[in-house]
Amino acid sequence: MKPTRLAVLLVALFFIAVVLSSALFTVQETEQVVITQFGKPVGKPITTPGLKIKMPFVQTVNAFEKRFLEWEGDPNQIPTKDKRFIWVTSYARWRITDPLLFFQRLHDEQGAQSRLDDILDGEMRNTIAKHQLIDLVRSTNRPMVVAEDIAELSQPEEAERVEFGRHKLTAEVLQNARRRTGDLGIEILDFRIKQINYVDEVRQEVYVRMISERKRIAERYRSEGAGEAARIAGEKDRELRVIESEAYRTAQEIRGKADAQAADIYAAAYNRDPDFYRFLKSMETLQDSFDADTVLLLSTDSELLRYLNSAH
Amino acid sequence: MEIQIPNVRKFRPPSIPGRTVARLIVIAIAAVFVFSTWFTIDPEEAGVVLRFGRVVRQVRSGPHLKLPYPLETVVKVPVERQLKEEFGFRTIEAGIHTTYSQEDLTAESLMLTGDLNVAVVEWTAQFRVRDPYKYLFKVRNVRGTFRDMNETVMREVIGDRSVNEVLTVGRQEIAAEVEQRLQALCNQYATGIKVEQIVLQDVNPPDAVKPSFNEVNQAQQEREKLINEARAGYNQIIPRAKGRAQQTIEQAQGLATDRVNRARGDAELFTQVLAAYQRAPEVTRRRMYLETMSEIYPKVKKKIILDDKLKGVLPLLSLQEQKEVKP
Repeated sequence: MKPTRLAVLLVALFFIAVVLSSALFTVQETEQVVITQFGKPVGKPITTPGLKIKMPFVQTVNAFEKRFLEWEGDPNQIPTKDKRFIWVTSYARWRITDPLLFFQRLHDEQGAQSRLDDILDGEMRNTIAKHQLIDLVRSTNRPMVVAEDIAELSQPEEAERVEFGRHKLTAEVLQNARRRTGDLGIEILDFRIKQINYVDEVRQEVYVRMISERKRIAERYRSEGAGEAARIAGEKDRELRVIESEAYRTAQEIRGKADAQAADIYAAAYNRDPDFYRFLKSMETLQDSFDADTVLLLSTDSELLRYLNSAH
Repeated sequence: MEIQIPNVRKFRPPSIPGRTVARLIVIAIAAVFVFSTWFTIDPEEAGVVLRFGRVVRQVRSGPHLKLPYPLETVVKVPVERQLKEEFGFRTIEAGIHTTYSQEDLTAESLMLTGDLNVAVVEWTAQFRVRDPYKYLFKVRNVRGTFRDMNETVMREVIGDRSVNEVLTVGRQEIAAEVEQRLQALCNQYATGIKVEQIVLQDVNPPDAVKPSFNEVNQAQQEREKLINEARAGYNQIIPRAKGRAQQTIEQAQGLATDRVNRARGDAELFTQVLAAYQRAPEVTRRRMYLETMSEIYPKVKKKIILDDKLKGVLPLLSLQEQKEVKP
């Protein structure tokens, strides 16, 4: 092989390589492609992945994402209908559904993001301003479970009913935003509120309210404790008196019955000769009532001393 | 001084034969070819093979072959590994003494409850990649999306519950509900993620409110203490009083029995004596009288015996004589 022929072959190969590398291109799974010729879109967008071919040099590949893309709202201070200021952070997921339209209207993702900022932030503001805070926080009117013993205390003062709810609210934003993005070649898959927080001053107020509510509950517990203790003490006193008085009554009854029985027994016996009983009892009493210190004045007329003076 | 200038024209690069170069190039290409056709997938992974960017097949763990680069490429996804996202805290280094980031992440964990109070909820989401295709190609920044979904769903669920429920009784239920809703959302977004478990970590009132929550606990303890003390007082008094009452009754019963028995005894005695008396009333009566007197008289030290016939004795009595007066 002559060197010149080799050189010619190499040059030819080089040109073929250059042409092929310009004509062939791959479309990734995550991509969709719009071919432009001198800046003007040509043909249908390519949405399937794989190895593709185009006119070399004159046509350019413009790749766009096919996946769901992020959109994150700036934390936004928004007043609700009931004039509460809150910070709302939201997010959305969107994708490019019509790359050609997208390319024409928004050109690239940056353009889309800034348009979405306008649309979604605006719609969110509008919607939130039309609703109460509670509609933003709650999704349903699900009855909230509170600890039983403090149920009546911890109910919020304003038992607010949810008329709309978070789901409907975000659905409304999504619907309105979708209407405005219809001709941009994009679709918003979902819009959600990520974070809601009170602005600092309001948060301090909420804390103060929470603290006072807790204090109320604590006071309730304390007074419940004292009340219950007093009740138990009272019960104790009452039971004590019941027990003692019942015992006394029972004892007296027993005694009374015994006394009555004894009296009956005595009466039955002594009634057989009351006179003799009197005599016996007198004798007994006499025996018991004399001792060393007694002074006895006796007449010689007495029964015992009758015989002191004479035997008759 | 003369400077020696090398003869440039005579300089030649070391001559390498063209054949050697060609051979080396071929070997290098062959090496790339061989090494890029053979690949292994670890046991916890799955592989997705792309030909010119298009998914052609998925492979499980083990050794595999593919067309050489750049025709086919492989992407590995850890499908069996349990992945984790943390909210409200960050583990810096897990270990025996796990260290956590000092960063302030309250923006993630601070949320409004349904009664418009504020709670700080920290949690972890454990998940796996169920569908590598979706995980790789359907959503850009899946992890970020998953985090956003987590924050949203947790706030939705917390937003429908009272602060008491969030802080105490509702934990299990909240985790279960978040798990379920999060999975639904994962499916809606085509993330290919399987939510394994939502674990609520610390659930607290905000720092500023914490002391008052503790106060409630303290008050609860105090209540129990007061009640227990009262019960103790009750238990100290009542059983004793019951015993005493029993004692009183027993004593009364004893006394009663005593009384009746004595009455019976007395009556019996009287009856017996009466019987004897009735057999000889006059004598017995006198005898009894005299017996009694004779028992009494010796007991009395001072006896004054008066005779009716004696006059003017009375003044003597006031003398209070010590010795016995003898007739």
